[in-house]
Amino acid sequence: MANRNLVAVTGLGVVSPLGFGARHFFSALMNGESGIGRIDVPFVDALSTKIAAQVRFNPDEHFSKIRLNQLDRVSQFALVAARQAMADAGLEGISQPERIGVYMGCGMGGATSFESGYRDLFEKQLSRISPYSVILTMNNAAASHISIEFGLKGPNQTFSTACSSSGVAIGEAMRTISHGYADCMLAGGAEALLSYGTIRAWEALRTLAREDADPKASCRPFSKDRNGLVLGEGAAVVVLENLEKAKSRNAQIYAILNGFGNTSDASHLTKPDSNGQARAMRMALEHSQISPESIGYVNAHGTATQVGDETETNAIKLVFGSMACQIPVSATKSMHGHLMGATAALEFVAMVMALKERKLPPTMFLRDPDPACDLDYVANAGRDAPKLQAAMSNAFAFGGSNAVLVASRA
Amino acid sequence: MGSAVNTFERIRKLMAEKFGLDESGLTPEESLETLGLDSLSVIELMFSIEDAFDIKLPDEPVPLKTLQDVVDTVDQLITEQHGKS
Repeated sequence: MANRNLVAVTGLGVVSPLGFGARHFFSALMNGESGIGRIDVPFVDALSTKIAAQVRFNPDEHFSKIRLNQLDRVSQFALVAARQAMADAGLEGISQPERIGVYMGCGMGGATSFESGYRDLFEKQLSRISPYSVILTMNNAAASHISIEFGLKGPNQTFSTACSSSGVAIGEAMRTISHGYADCMLAGGAEALLSYGTIRAWEALRTLAREDADPKASCRPFSKDRNGLVLGEGAAVVVLENLEKAKSRNAQIYAILNGFGNTSDASHLTKPDSNGQARAMRMALEHSQISPESIGYVNAHGTATQVGDETETNAIKLVFGSMACQIPVSATKSMHGHLMGATAALEFVAMVMALKERKLPPTMFLRDPDPACDLDYVANAGRDAPKLQAAMSNAFAFGGSNAVLVASRA
Repeated sequence: MGSAVNTFERIRKLMAEKFGLDESGLTPEESLETLGLDSLSVIELMFSIEDAFDIKLPDEPVPLKTLQDVVDTVDQLITEQHGKS
């Protein structure tokens, strides 16, 4: 670990079900707002699940028509978030574009374009589909569009590890800078999979939350009456920078990204494993050289499935031992839903803003404490954290890939 | 020539719809590349033209640089496939 470059977070971009921009997003979290509600997708009437965390987005406000032909919704989200992050970091007028790269996480690429292509083929029986089909649907399109729009010539990679994809992207971007392969990275995730077919597939897994009498409160992590996750969409992109270089250009520094832990459960595709999760948390702590006692907040993966929340609670206990009950842990998915390949990046932004503002966003709709989930979940109201110094963000995936990020105040 | 003008007008309208281009700025000599159409967009345009004009493009790609090239190709295909221009 000696002599590695420290990595600063210098820009944030968010396109979320709670609105655009990191500050707006964080203030909505602190207010306990929910972006979950009735969805507007083709064939919604045929779906059992009519709720999700959808982004209210007018693409014409951001892109010309000719460009939109080649941009799936997922790339539109990614580009808008990247524009915010670049502007926020003051990176216009880049002098060494070959030293800046892009790492993105994405689960399903251009999911809605896939669906419309298949409808053309199988439902409408067309003999040909759009010539844009391949470039609309490929999983690395979002990252590539970002590189092209800003002329960023460093490494460009897309990580696809389901729900931990963008945690891996941010962690690997950190490594790329700390090992000297780049000075600056745009890293994050994007997802736009709210289509009839995809929602049907998730329904079949029996992991989606039932619509609550109050649809906004349908995702209830750590609450005894929780009954599943709520699908979401959006993008979050952050600018990571070599700390010394960021200081030398007087960049604003939101936080320092200190550690990344990445492990595999190697046990089951969908059943999470406390041991695999705990190993990722320990690895991130060790990498960060921050002691467990210094962690003052954990942004949980907290999807609101019965098994997931209990497993994560146990993993936190394995890592923090008797301190576990004193550490505030919150699941912001209660408000923004599960953005799949973008979720870890959005939650990383929530953690970074928590560190900067010294405020902890709540776990909303925690109506009924579960004896199996007995940590401090910052239930139903955010709080000030005047002594907060360091925090952890967890992302655990189908497939068993666990990604944990540890950051501290600048 | 009357039908060529008609072909041009119809293609112009189609391009304006498909790519959000200003119809009045679309002249016959304008290059497709200058208008912002890359090779995939030209394929997309030709697919739409096939549907709109009820013609079938040859499997071999036709070199198309300007809007006039598109008009000429379409008129030729109409003549070949429908027997009149």
